[in-house]
Amino acid sequence: MAKELTTQSYIDHHLTNLTCGQLKDGGWSCDPHDVENMTFWAFHVDSLFWSIFLGGLFLFLFKIAMPKNATADTTPTGLQNFVEMSIEFVEDNVQSLFGSIKNTLIAPLALTVFVWILLMNLMDLIPVDFIPVLAGHIAYYLVGGPDHAWITGPESFYFKVVPTTDPNITLGMALAIFVLTIYYSISVKGPKAFIAELTLHPFGKWLIPVNFVLEMVNFIAKPISLGLRLFGNLYAGEMIFILIALMLFFSSIAIGVLGFGLHLVWALFHILIVALQAFIFMALTIAYLAMAHETEEH
Amino acid sequence: MNINATLLAQAVVMIVFVAICWKYVYPPILQVMQEREKKISDGLEAAKKADDSLEEAKLAFDKEMDQAKTEAAEILKKANARASQIVGDASSKAEEEAEKIMTSASTSIENETNKAKEELRQQMSDIIIDTTQKILGDEISPEKHDAILKKAAEDL
Repeated sequence: MAKELTTQSYIDHHLTNLTCGQLKDGGWSCDPHDVENMTFWAFHVDSLFWSIFLGGLFLFLFKIAMPKNATADTTPTGLQNFVEMSIEFVEDNVQSLFGSIKNTLIAPLALTVFVWILLMNLMDLIPVDFIPVLAGHIAYYLVGGPDHAWITGPESFYFKVVPTTDPNITLGMALAIFVLTIYYSISVKGPKAFIAELTLHPFGKWLIPVNFVLEMVNFIAKPISLGLRLFGNLYAGEMIFILIALMLFFSSIAIGVLGFGLHLVWALFHILIVALQAFIFMALTIAYLAMAHETEEH
Repeated sequence: MNINATLLAQAVVMIVFVAICWKYVYPPILQVMQEREKKISDGLEAAKKADDSLEEAKLAFDKEMDQAKTEAAEILKKANARASQIVGDASSKAEEEAEKIMTSASTSIENETNKAKEELRQQMSDIIIDTTQKILGDEISPEKHDAILKKAAEDL
């Protein structure tokens, strides 16, 4: 039934997404063995599930935090305080970069990005095996059977927990922000000024193709670096959690105990990374959108 | 670590979530926060104003108090002066009255004395004449010796 558990298979298991997608012959499958044959139209069901679940949790929490009858006269309590604190924090950051420019979308966007990414990153602090093993058992006993012959046991079901360790998620968010950046660049500066910005710097109008290539690299690098930075940090963090968890595989008790200690230390340190990366993503989102609103020539 | 349609799905999900947050979640919270902020700053301003007016009122109170004290002192002074004047008037009047009474008393005493003296003189002269008549008989008559008698009475 199950393959023999090796270090290699353990790591692979933790780094493989539950993927459902269209096969090259047109059919659909969630079988991990078919991943090689899938077209572009494949979805990481686990990443998307956690992403949507946590995004929904964010919206839900921030919606119920405000009592229905809350006004300026009612004393804020509990969750409302936390929510107002978050909003104050985001407003301050937006204010520092945007100054007098009025755009009511920026602050909610920054808030969503910050809290959502924070929640997704926090999934990294749940011990690496808890949810995948639980999901494997649930899938095996509920869905496993002739229709899904590939679920041969709890271990054959992949379930990656931290959405931000999936480059599709981080680059997807960067893409959405990229689209917004282009939209505001065109609507605020006007199409002419936007094209001029991309072609007339840094060498003037006689070297337009060179300018365009240089500016394009600069332009495209922003969303890619934005997405990859978050992915890289969280992926590395997750990787170290997996490697520390592997220490329990050794038969030596001393190494196992050391593993517990290291896990604690790394988890504490990782809290910093979790919050810092969420903040960096938010700050850069605001910065890129602020650039899109800048109208003066440079 | 394949790039696939998950990326597009996540971008769409994100746009939807941001839109929901932008339209339904963020504005009510921000509105309450801004209202409260305004209320607090208004309250602080009002407190400052109240403080200022309290200060002003204190100053005004002190001024009024000083004035009232001055006035009171003045009134007291006037009252004292008036009282001593009244007392002075009254005593001088009383002295005058007393003097008057004394004068009239002494006048009437003198009158009485004079009257009594006159009467005594009259009686004396009558007695003397009577006695003299009895001694001398009819030698002496009041008509003849009127002048002598008169002189004697005057000497008395």
